[in-house]
Amino acid sequence: MIELLLQIAFAILAAALLLGFYRLAKGPTVVDRILAFDAVVLCAVAMTALLSRWWQSVFYMELILIVSTLGFFGAVAFVLFLQRSLPYGGEEAEEADKEDKP
Amino acid sequence: MNLQMEHVSVGVMILGALLVLVAMIGIVRFPDVFCRAHALGKGLTLGLMVLLFGLWLDPATEVSGLKVIAAIFFQFVTLPVASHLIARLSYEKNLPRVRRR
Repeated sequence: MIELLLQIAFAILAAALLLGFYRLAKGPTVVDRILAFDAVVLCAVAMTALLSRWWQSVFYMELILIVSTLGFFGAVAFVLFLQRSLPYGGEEAEEADKEDKP
Repeated sequence: MNLQMEHVSVGVMILGALLVLVAMIGIVRFPDVFCRAHALGKGLTLGLMVLLFGLWLDPATEVSGLKVIAAIFFQFVTLPVASHLIARLSYEKNLPRVRRR
């Protein structure tokens, strides 16, 4: 019974992960992709928590903390990098500028 | 009693997984970056906190109680910060946004 319920939870989280990958591939701007990547990492964290529940093991808590830390700092690093290099108005504005100039 | 707690913990974890799924549907369906950052910062935070709370309720893994609480606190601190940074970046760079009447 409990295993069936855990499998249902795994299926729900896998569907959420696939939706995140869809947004990661399609996202119109870079910022959308950063956001979707953060969400995908957090889905992986949630699956790790479910795995820890399934195998009745306490050793996955460090993994949960470390992976969520990695996702957070990845998002922060991307945002701080893009604050300097992303053109005003997004990539489409820059491409339109390039087409206008010559 | 222990068996009841196991069922309760699995039910709470399924509730958290459903909240995560709802947040991801929001990330896919919402029209611009600001709405998506809203779905990330509220839906995913609540979903992960509920899911880790279900892990905390489980009687077999309760020896790691303080670590689970630390993980819940960490999600509660970092996820809204990341969402806010993303929304602030897209506001500063004037990314396209929807305006509907």
